[in-house]
Amino acid sequence: MQNGNPGFFAGKLDELVSWGRSHSLWPFPYGTACCAIEFMSTESARYDLSRLGSEFVRFTPRQADVLAVSGTITFKQAPILKRIYEQMMEPKWVIAMGACACSGGFYDCYCTVPGIDHIVPVDIYIGGCPSRPEAFFDAMLDLQEKVKSESYMEDRKKKLKEQWENIKDWIK
Amino acid sequence: MNDIISKLTEKFGAVIDERAVDKCLIIAAEKLPDAIETLGFDVLIDIVGVDYLGMENYKGKRFAVIYCLKNTKDMARLRLKVLVEEGEKIPTISKIYPIADWQEREVWDQFGIVFEGHPNLRRILNHVDFEGHPLRKDYPAQKRQWLSENDKMQDQLENRLETLGYNVIGDEQ
Repeated sequence: MQNGNPGFFAGKLDELVSWGRSHSLWPFPYGTACCAIEFMSTESARYDLSRLGSEFVRFTPRQADVLAVSGTITFKQAPILKRIYEQMMEPKWVIAMGACACSGGFYDCYCTVPGIDHIVPVDIYIGGCPSRPEAFFDAMLDLQEKVKSESYMEDRKKKLKEQWENIKDWIK
Repeated sequence: MNDIISKLTEKFGAVIDERAVDKCLIIAAEKLPDAIETLGFDVLIDIVGVDYLGMENYKGKRFAVIYCLKNTKDMARLRLKVLVEEGEKIPTISKIYPIADWQEREVWDQFGIVFEGHPNLRRILNHVDFEGHPLRKDYPAQKRQWLSENDKMQDQLENRLETLGYNVIGDEQ
């Protein structure tokens, strides 16, 4: 692990973990509007998202990896979305599906959040009103590439360093 | 239908609205509950608020509240319109039609028209931290108001459970 280079074993383990993660991304459906109908279609038999390893739709944030926000988010709903994101286990990713989740869409008014990136960090944006299932597949493949490029070891090191900074003064 | 209109015009001083396309009567706010009760229509379809601010060729009170009524016995439809100025109050009809409770809350939430005697006049569509009334014409359309935490609604839930006969145990016990 010297100079940021993992050894052979650690490097291979890192790759294995990333590969495993990328092929078991279980989504949490946060569906509020018509995009959710397309999401259901993506999940069900005709398009079958399970082929990419997203085997189950998890209806509890504790067991989900990907927060798929499909639909319009109002200001009244914003705290709920934020709480659900915070309840998800690390590592977690967010997909903003459709024009409303990306930018508020044509709801340029007093009640709609202008893009969920004001509330939670977004990894992949999908356009369309609503997005087609093919677009969701494309986003899922993009997300898999992104997950594969992430390093478990680097992540861990960063986290441990942060935790150490936090408790350093307490120990001394 | 004509006898209903003549009854309203004679007894409650209602005026036929010339601007409206369909049957619509303008009535004074304080006579509204009595008029609705004597009509005896069995469905209140909707309560609608209107803001006439900046409307061309219009001189009159700023707001209107329209009550859409229907009688399922003879399929008669009637609309009653109440004109109010900013700050004027309308007596509630939630004792006659229970659905008017939420409809009046919505009109108050979006237009700021106060209903006198309403049991629970608070926001229904907009969130608790919202300031102003968004469907008024002078509300800036681009103005956005963020909410950081939802209201718990625990007290209302407990009240409702208590009226249904449940024994509610509070947080501290």
